[in-house]
Amino acid sequence: MPDIRLLGLTRRFGSIVAVNDVTMTFPEGTVTCLLGPSGCGKTTLMRMIAGLEAPSRGTIAFGERDVTRLPARLRDVGMVFQYPVMYRTLTVQENIELALQHDRRFAHDDRRRRVEEVLDVLHLSDQRDRRMAALDSGTRQKVAVGRAIARSCDVILFDEPTTNVEVHAKLQLLRAFKEFRTRFRQTIIYVTHDQTEAMTLADQIALMRDGRISQCSPPRELYDYPDSEFGGWFLGNPGMNFIEPSGERDGGVVFDVFPHPLAAPAGGAARLRAGIRPEYVRLCPPGSAGAVPARLLRRAITIGGQYLLTLAVGQARLKAKVAPDQGAALPTDLAVECPLEHVMLFRDNARLAEAPRALAARASVF
Amino acid sequence: MSRICIEGLAKSYGRGTVLGGIDLDVAPERLTVFCGPPGSGKSVLFRVIVGLEAPDAGRILVDGADITPLPAARRTIGYVPQSFALFPHMSVFDNVAYPLKLQGVERAEIARRVAQAAELLRISKLLRKRPSELSGGEKQRAALARGILKDARIFILDDPLVGLDFKLREGLMEDLAEMRAELGATFLYATSDPLEALMMADDLVVLDGGRVADANRVDRLYAEPRHLRAAELVGFPRCNVIPGKLEGDICTTALLRFRVVAERAPAPDVVVVIRPEQVVFADGAAHPPGAPGGVGTVQLLEDLGAECVVHLAAAGETLVTTAPSRAVAHLDVGAPYPFVLRPRGISVFDRASGARIGSGDA
Repeated sequence: MPDIRLLGLTRRFGSIVAVNDVTMTFPEGTVTCLLGPSGCGKTTLMRMIAGLEAPSRGTIAFGERDVTRLPARLRDVGMVFQYPVMYRTLTVQENIELALQHDRRFAHDDRRRRVEEVLDVLHLSDQRDRRMAALDSGTRQKVAVGRAIARSCDVILFDEPTTNVEVHAKLQLLRAFKEFRTRFRQTIIYVTHDQTEAMTLADQIALMRDGRISQCSPPRELYDYPDSEFGGWFLGNPGMNFIEPSGERDGGVVFDVFPHPLAAPAGGAARLRAGIRPEYVRLCPPGSAGAVPARLLRRAITIGGQYLLTLAVGQARLKAKVAPDQGAALPTDLAVECPLEHVMLFRDNARLAEAPRALAARASVF
Repeated sequence: MSRICIEGLAKSYGRGTVLGGIDLDVAPERLTVFCGPPGSGKSVLFRVIVGLEAPDAGRILVDGADITPLPAARRTIGYVPQSFALFPHMSVFDNVAYPLKLQGVERAEIARRVAQAAELLRISKLLRKRPSELSGGEKQRAALARGILKDARIFILDDPLVGLDFKLREGLMEDLAEMRAELGATFLYATSDPLEALMMADDLVVLDGGRVADANRVDRLYAEPRHLRAAELVGFPRCNVIPGKLEGDICTTALLRFRVVAERAPAPDVVVVIRPEQVVFADGAAHPPGAPGGVGTVQLLEDLGAECVVHLAAAGETLVTTAPSRAVAHLDVGAPYPFVLRPRGISVFDRASGARIGSGDA
C-alpha cells in the first residue's frame, strides 16, 4: 500500500478550472479528508484519483507506478459513495463475500476469515443474514464500507458517505470508521463538506478552495494555525473573528479590540487584519488590564448550552463564545479581552509568521 | 404591532391529523422559531397562516382582527418558502415585482415600490441580475423584498436555509438577524435543525405531531422544558434521557441520586433529562469528593474545533457531553473519562405522559 502522489494535477471543464495545479501526497496508511465548500473541486479531485475523470494535465502515482492513464478498473481502488451500491436481494454477508470473489490475493479460507473480521469490526455479525432491502440507510452504508475494506486494495475513496443517513446512523458510521481503522490500515481519501467529520476522522485535512489546496495539515494544526483567513473562517462554529485596524498611532497599528496599539509588523499596517477565535474572547470586569469596553448586541444559546455573544467593540464586531454560567445574565455594557497569545495577524488573506505584540507592553520593560 | 393569535387551529388530510388544535400567541416584533421534526406540522401551519390552505377549524387573529376568511393576496404577510423559491428565468426585479403584477398594480407604481424595497434591503444594484448570479445572502434579501412590497409587518420563513452549505447558513443566519433588527417586523421561522432553532429564536415553539409540545422564551424553554419532547427536540448535542424512579422527593437513576423540587404531582416512573453541559469532565484533582458522577469510556470524540462532543458509555447508559477541545482532543476511543454530574437544572418528566414534574435541587 504505497503513498499516493499528485503532481500538478489540473482538470478543466470548458473555461472552468475545477482542479488547479494540485501537488500533494497522501501518505500510506493514513486518512486524508478533502474538505471544502461546494464547488471547491474536491469531488473532481477524488474522481481523478479513482480514474473516473481524466486530468487535463499532471500525473497521479500510486507509489512508483504512474496510473494517470490507467482505466479505473485496473487501479485497485475501493469506493464508498453517497448512495450505497450493492445487491439488494442478497444478505449482508453475501454482499461482503461478493466483493472478495475476484480478489486473488486471498485463498478460500483466508476469504472466510476476512469476511468474519469485517463483520466483527463493523458490528454487523448479528445482522449477517439479513437482506439489504430490510436495512436502514445507515446500516446499508456500513455494509458498503465493509465491501470496500474487505478487499486488499491500495486505497479506498469515500465520497460524502454520511450525506444521506440520519443523525443517529451517522454517529454509528463514524464510530465504525474509527474502529475499523484500528485493524485495517488502507490509505483513505475521504471527501466531505462537513468540518466536524473531517476534524474527527482525518490524520490530515486538505482544505480546498477554488480548485486549489488552501492548506494541508493535521486537523488541530489547521484549526489552531490556519495559513489563511479562509481556513480560520471555514473551520469553527462560527469561524474566526477578523478585525480591521482603525488607524495608526505612535508608530503602531490601532485595533479597537486591544487597549494598546500593536507594533507594526514588517510591511506596515496596509491590508492588515487581526484574527481571534470566538472561544478565546474573554469577558472580564470593567477596567481590568487588557480589557476594552464592549456593547452586547445579541446573545444566543449555542453548542452545549454555551452562549454566543455578538459584541460591538468600537467600530469592530466581535463574536464571543462563553460558558453557560457566564452568559446566562449579562448587562448590555461589558468589557472584553482578546488575549494576544490567541491573536494572529493576516495580510492579503495570508497569516503572518510574526506574533502580534502590544506597543505599550514593550515600553513598560524600559 | 402585528400580534398573532392562533385559536384552536386544526387541519386533517383524510384520516391524518396534521394540526391537532393549536392555540398560540406570537409576540409582535420578535422572532419566533417553530421547530420540530419533519412532519410535525410546521409547514402546514405556515401555509394556513399565509392563506395557502384553509383550516378545518379555528381562526387566526392579527392585532385582534380575524384574517381566517381573507384570501392569501389580501393578507399582508411576507412569505419566504424553502430555499427562497426565486424564479430562475426572471431578473431580481421581476421576481420581486411578481406579486404586484399579479395584483394588477400599475407599472410606474411597481417600479417605485420595488426601488423602495430594494433600497431598504440593499439590493438596488442587483435588480437586473438573475438569481443564479446572486450570493446566498443576496437571494435571501431578494426573497424578503417580495414580502416588504406587500407592506408586510409579518414575515414567515419556512426553513429558508435547508440543504444549504453549513458555512453559508452561518452567514445567512447572521444576515437575517441584522435585517430583522432593521425592519423591526414580526418574524415566524421554521427549522428542523435544533441548533439553528436556538441560534435564531427570541421565542421558541416546539411542534410535535401537530401539537404544541412547549412554547416559551428561548432560554426559559431550554432550561425548563415543559414537556419531554421539547427537551429532546431543542439543544445541540441532543440531551441525555435516562430512566429513573422517584420516591418522595428523591430521584434514583443508574448514574445519580438527587433531590427533586416538584412543580406538580410526581409519578413513580420518571425520565430525567441531562443536558450535555451538565456532564462535566473531571480530570485528575477536579473531582470533588462525594459529588455524583463516575468514570465513563469514550466511544467517539467528535471535534467541532472549539469543543468536542464526547460520546460515553457509563453505568450501562450512553452519555453525550461537550468539553473544550483543548482539554479532551487527545483522548482516544476506549479512554476512561471521569465526570461529575450537576443535579441542579436536571429536568424530571413523567415517563408515561412526558409532562414535566420538576428539576434537581441546587
